[in-house]
Formats: sequence, structure tokens, C-alpha cells
Amino acid sequence: MRIGPPIPVPQCRCLLATSPDAQRSPSFSSHFTRGTNLLCPSQEKLHYVQVRKRPGGICASLSERGPEYHSQRPPTPLLDTINYPIHMKNLSTKELKQLADELRSDVIFNVSRTGGHLGSSLGVVELTVALHYVFNAPQDKILWDVGHQSYPHKILTGRRDKMHTIRQTNGLSGFTKRSESEFDCFGTGHSSTTISAGLGMAVGRDLKGRNNNVVAVIGDGAMTAGQAYEAMNNAGYLDSDMIVILNDNKQVSLPTANLDGPIPPVGALSSALSRLQSNRPLRELREVAKGVTKQIGGPMHELAAKVDEYARGMIGGSGSTLFEELGLYYIGPVDGHNIDDLVAILKEVKSTKTTGPVLIHVVTEKGRGYPYAEKAADKYHGVAKFDPATGKQFKSKAPTQSYTTYFAEALIAEAEVDKDIVAIHAAMGGGTGLNLFLRRFPTRCFDVGIAEQHAVTFAAGLACEGIKPFCTIYSSFLQRAYDQVVHDVDLQKLPVRFAMDRAGLVGADGPTHCGSFDVTFMACLPNMVVMAPSDEAELFHMVATAAAIDDRPSCFRYPRGNGIGVQLPTRNKGIPIEVGKGRILLEGERVALLGYGTAVQSCLGAASLMESHGLSLTVADARFCKPLDRALIRSLAKSHEILITVEEGSIGGFGSHVAQFMALDGLLDGKTKWRPLVLPDRYIEHGSPTDQLAEAGLTPSHIAATVFNILGQTREALEIMS
Amino acid sequence: MRCYGFTPIQGSDSRLFHLPTTRLINIPNSNSRFSFSHSSFFTSKLVSATCMPPVSLRTTARAAVNDGLMTEEAAAASGLSFYELLGIPESGSLVDIKQAYKQLARKYHPDVSPPGRAEEYTKRFIRVQEAYEILSDPGRRALYDRDLAKGLHLAFSARRQYQSNEGMEERGEWKNRWQAQLSGLKRRSMNKDADGNLSWGARMRRQRDELANEL
Repeated sequence: MRIGPPIPVPQCRCLLATSPDAQRSPSFSSHFTRGTNLLCPSQEKLHYVQVRKRPGGICASLSERGPEYHSQRPPTPLLDTINYPIHMKNLSTKELKQLADELRSDVIFNVSRTGGHLGSSLGVVELTVALHYVFNAPQDKILWDVGHQSYPHKILTGRRDKMHTIRQTNGLSGFTKRSESEFDCFGTGHSSTTISAGLGMAVGRDLKGRNNNVVAVIGDGAMTAGQAYEAMNNAGYLDSDMIVILNDNKQVSLPTANLDGPIPPVGALSSALSRLQSNRPLRELREVAKGVTKQIGGPMHELAAKVDEYARGMIGGSGSTLFEELGLYYIGPVDGHNIDDLVAILKEVKSTKTTGPVLIHVVTEKGRGYPYAEKAADKYHGVAKFDPATGKQFKSKAPTQSYTTYFAEALIAEAEVDKDIVAIHAAMGGGTGLNLFLRRFPTRCFDVGIAEQHAVTFAAGLACEGIKPFCTIYSSFLQRAYDQVVHDVDLQKLPVRFAMDRAGLVGADGPTHCGSFDVTFMACLPNMVVMAPSDEAELFHMVATAAAIDDRPSCFRYPRGNGIGVQLPTRNKGIPIEVGKGRILLEGERVALLGYGTAVQSCLGAASLMESHGLSLTVADARFCKPLDRALIRSLAKSHEILITVEEGSIGGFGSHVAQFMALDGLLDGKTKWRPLVLPDRYIEHGSPTDQLAEAGLTPSHIAATVFNILGQTREALEIMS
Repeated sequence: MRCYGFTPIQGSDSRLFHLPTTRLINIPNSNSRFSFSHSSFFTSKLVSATCMPPVSLRTTARAAVNDGLMTEEAAAASGLSFYELLGIPESGSLVDIKQAYKQLARKYHPDVSPPGRAEEYTKRFIRVQEAYEILSDPGRRALYDRDLAKGLHLAFSARRQYQSNEGMEERGEWKNRWQAQLSGLKRRSMNKDADGNLSWGARMRRQRDELANEL
């Protein structure tokens, strides 16, 4: 993740001000004076610097100013006593604030050791403390949308000692997960699902006659997705008691910056929300309205309430009526970093019987409390391991770049030549690499917010007008837009190009982000061209091929990770390959490995393992799943005893298509054996990519062992696996 | 009578005063006690209802916000809005703002100012720079436009204080607002599940309450 450029700060010492938020500084100073265990060196000063832009001031870069945060984990006496939310119930407000500060430093130090999502967690520390103080999880259900801000929640609900394992093999998940803890009521990862799930839990509670609270926390970015409105619409109609907390930090896209600075929020909703925040109701009129209701009051409850509602509708922010119209009672905006306010409001709402659905609009700051995160353009949304005192991330230097970057460069090269090429993404400018495209072609890159369904149909509309849209959506997020792909694109044979990043296993993000199914669901569509590059050079050629296919939809998939280091085409411009033609990489005998996508590299690895056993395998790269290279398959089947298809996808994908063809062509009627290697029929948990591949059984050793097993050489198979 | 800068047109009805437009305000004489911030006081007295002054009314709120550090000269001279200062229309784009700023900055930079007028030019330059700073940031520009529409013409140093106060004031207003909303919620909940309410949630709640009463 790129950090923004250092913001110049004047050298003058008189600008060192403690933060205006009085609740923060006293508790930190208490860390220094309390107890004998002072881990910080005495000469280190902790400053919260308010960055003010002075005209004509002397500028000095941030790093020269010295550390702005602890370098050692400060003592957390209060947090040490809290294992579960029930231990918080007797704390005073002052202690809650101290707890929030300790929790914040705990999050920062944990993430600095493991990497993960930082900014979002820091923004909701006070909210998490307030929620767990007022409500009684796990009877009361608290749902966290997307889940990447749930680190403080996990710390407070019995998982503090496991936080060092987060996002690692056999460790805590980076998102909420039902099987991990009873305090995680719903699994999240894709966004905008919590209001729907929360409504389901509220209605289930009503049907069972129970009495608990349901709270769904959702961000303003997740609010750009249609599902949130579907849920609010239904919630307003059903009128079941539940609380929706809109966590508004004005960060709608990820990362929350492009290469040149912060991204302004996408969409019309954000300006409505900010109008809500800054709207100053005409006080006089409001007072009049209050006076009227007071007079009417007494026995005429209903009328008074109606008048008040009308008055609020007239005077209240122009956005509150949106939520009110959907049937949710709007409260806010509320300062999301003020624990007093939060606790007061939550207590009030909790104690009110028969509220129906209530929306509390909480305003927070992403990355709050960690100076480097506050100043960074991307607010440290997702970080690698870093040094807490300086904020510097430890990024390993890889010899090659990521497939994402290569894709962006390939698309830029295509777009230089063809001015009809545009790119579309759904709030993932950094993740898809399209921030590079945006910088080069500012008017040809479209960020639609978290709205994959709209993105696909939007692309279809563009294609109708002769534009060449490249819809760049993660394989797992494209699942959301499947009907649009089928009905709006494929059925009408519109030439929309789908670039599916994060195909296959994705490492630390786990099964929620894993792109296992895209070969299956794309290749079964009648008009779709489905292809996959086996290395970065092939990726360049496939981008060119997709740009050239203008009469039908096409798609290609590429994984997370870096390239293998092959020579790139000159000036990044790929050459379109003949559709439906694969290639043979290694000539051998008896056994043929037909790989699809980057699994080909594993096949090559397996072939080199077998060399030492005196077997030379044929390795072929199919390139296309649809249309298949039939000639290649026929020749492989006829000249080899065994054909093994390898792909990093689920059943029903490439291997199934090959098998179908072979069966219909009579190639399975003779002596040829066909075996598929696919992802197993279970979800692979998060972990390092190598661990995941081993768990899935698709490493070179696994492939080699499979070959040995088929050949009947079981001993060698076991040898290779150990 | 004291002349507040109105020049009565010779030979015409004494009620018709020719009010100078705001753009020409530039009073180099620091001894002048004329302040255009008080124009709103006397316009009603000196000008009849049939003759409305063409100048935009300055509200007196500004006088309250001026801190003691500002001289009257600065107060009068900075009666210009940022748009007028830069010489661009209020709908000016960022490009226009940048161009105007560059032009004026080059003109008024202390290093290139004519000798003897350095101080005045420097002040101008600072004002121009602040204008650019506010107008080039879309968020701050929006806030400024809003206040402009309400007739609040704040000099920037007063504005700076006001801004931080406004931040706190806004939070204070937030608190009032949500407290009112909470009481509204409580009031609403008292008769929410009256028999007339047929929503699914209301029916389930009534059912639940009935069961609880029975036990």
C-alpha cells in the first residue's frame, strides 16, 4: 500500500499542541506516571501534532521530526483486566475512555506485527467500546459489515491473546466468522450484508418470542451498494426493532486514495451525508415547532408526534429524509469518537421499547489516534508489518511486480492505441491497479462505488454504444453480479471484457475473497470466451486479445501474487493470440499435464521433479477454456496414456469441459486415462499462499505424486510427498 | 451630518444617494474612521423605501467576530469577498482560480512590489494567498460559499477563529439535534403499537406482550 507523500510540517516547536480532544491526552500521560513499568525511554516525547498549513512556513518532511508514537507497547492495565464484554460493565466513563486508548494502542501494536487492516479498526475503537458496554453480547447481536474493522471487537471478546495469529494459517480470521467465536454473529467479508442479516436476526428473534437487541454496523462505503437499500426498505416495512449504525468516515473507495492523493467520495450519497453533517437547522423555526408541540401536548400524543415529524422533515437535513422515507428513525449526526455521547444515545435507544428500525449516523475518522494513519492519503487501510514509532511499512522487495500492476500497464498500452477502451471498477482502484489507468486516462476510468451489478450492466450499456469496456472486478466479487453477466451481457452477446483479478486462492483474506468459482460460472455461458494466462507475458497478450474480440463477451482470470519473471512484450503492448489455440511447453511421453492459468507453473515444477526419476512429462498450456483447443487435446490424448488437467478452480471448470469434449469425441473409449486436479470440495481457510496451495493439493509435489499414483508407482508418490 | 461615503448627486432629490459599488473600496488612509461594516445601520434611515441601495448589505455579525487585532483599515479593505479579490465570478472553476491567483501573486509579491508600498502589497498578497487556499479546497470553498450566501463576509483571520469555533459549535449543535431526536423517539414509541398499527413488527410485539402478560 502506498503511503501518501509526507506533509510538510513547520519546524517551529510552538506548534506542538496536544490534541484538542481533551479525553485523549490525560489518559496517555497517565500511562507515563502510572506504575513502575515505564517501557518508554525518558527522553522520548509523545506529541500529537496538529498539522496546520501556515502560509509561507518553513517546511520540513515528517521523518525529520522524530517518532510520533510509542516504539514499545505501552502498558495497558485496564485492558488487561477485560477478557469479555461482561468485565466492562462496571467501568466508569473515565475508565471507558482509558480503555479506548489502551485498545487503540493494542490494535496498532498487533497490526504492526502481523499486518492487516488498520485504519478502519482505529476509527471504530470508541464505537466498539460503547457497544460492548451498553449491549450484552452474545445475546445481543452485533454485526460488523465487511468485518475488517472488527479487530477491537475481537480483542474485547476473548481473542486478545490470539491476535498475533490474525490472518495467518490456523489463526484468527481477518473478518468476523461464526465458527471462530459466539460473539461473531455473522460472517462477513463482502460488504453491505449486515443490515439484511440483522433484519433476519431481528425477525427470527420476534418469531421465537425473544427479547434481545440487534445492532448492525455498516460504513458509508458499504452504503453505496444496493443491498443496503433493499434491506432498509424491507426493515422499514416490517418495522421490527433493530439498530443500524452508519459509520460515516467519508471513505467510499479502497484504498481511500489514488496515486496522487485522497479520493473524493464517489456517488451522490456522500454529498448528502456531508450535507447532513453540516446542515444547521434554522433554529428559530425549530423552536416554534417545539413550542407548538408543547402546547398541543398532553392528551394529544399522536398529533404532537406527527407535527414534530413534519417539522423534522422540513427542517432536518436533506439526507435524513432519505432514511426516514425508507422507514428508519434517523438519529444524528453523532461524534463517533466521543464515548459519552455514544453511550448516552445507545442507552436511550436500548431502553426505549418498540422503536422499530433506528439508524444512528455516527461520524468517525479513519485511522484516528495514529498520527501516521491520520495523515496518510489512504489512511493506512491495509498495511504490511510496520514500525509503530515511525509508521514505516516493511515491504519486501520482489524481483517482479504483481499481476495487478502488469494488467494495468497492459490496459494502458491498449488504451493508448484505441481510444474506445475504458475501464470500470467497483470501489477498488488500488486493488485492481486501475488507479494507474486513472492517472493516465482520467476520463476513461469509472469507479461506480461498491456496486458490481451496476458495473456490469453499465458496461453492457457502454458496449451498446461501441465503447470497449474492461470490467475489472475481483473473481469473488463478480459472483454478486452473475445475473447481470448472464442476462445483460452474455444473452445479448455484448462485447464486455471481464478482467477477473484474485482468481484462485488468495492467501490471508481467506475463503471470503477466494476466486474459486469463476471458471465454472463463466465457461458454462454460451457466448463467453474464457481464457487464462500462465504468466505475465501471456497476460499482456490476453489483454490485447480481449481488446480485439469485439463480437462477443470475453473474460480472463489472473491470480494474486507476482509474476515469474519472463520477458515482457516491447512497450507493454501485447499481441492478440489466436482464439482457441493453446501451446505445448515441454515435450515428453506417456503422461501429459494440461494446465489452465498459472497452474501451468506448478505443472512445470512437477515435470522438473519427475526428471530426476527419469520420467519426462509433456506440459501444455491450454490458454483457452472456451473455445477449447480441440486439436491439442486430440493430439495429447492420442499420443499419451495419461492426461491430467490441472486448474486452480472448483469442479465444473476447465477439467469438466475437457472431459466433456473427450467423451463426446470418443477419446475416452480407448486406453487413455483422464484425471482432473481441481480445488477440493471444501473451503480453504486463510493462511499463507504456500500453505493454502498445499492444503488444496495443487503444489508441484502433489501433481507429481498424482502422476506416480496413476502409474502405479506408489512408493515414489509417498517419497515425493514427504 | 456625517458623511458615510455617500455622495449626494447634485441637483437631484436629496433622497437619492449614489452609493459606490463595493469593488472600489480601497482606503489607504489609515486614519479614516469610515467603516463600511455599518452601512446596514443607516441605509434604512437615509434612503427611502423607494430607493434601495445597490450594494449588498453587510451584516453586523461580522463586527462581532472581528477580533481586536484587526485595524479598521484592514476591516474595510477586506470587505471584498474572495471572489472579488481574485477577480473571478462566483462560479469560477479551479482553473480560473489558479490563474487569477498566479497573476495576482506575481503582481503583489513583496519582492516585486514598488518601494514604499511594500507593506500594503504584502498585505494584499497574504489576502490573495488565503483566498486561493480557501477557494481551491472544495470542502472549504463550499463552507465559504454557504456563508457568503447568508451574507457573512468574514475576513480570513476572523474566519480562522470562527472556523474552529464553528467546528465546536457544530458539534454542540449536533448534540442538541440528537437529543431532540432521542426525545422524539421516546415520544413516538409510547403510542407506536396502538391497535391501528398493522406493521408486521407491531403485530409481533403485541403478540409477545400478550404472551408475557398471560404468564
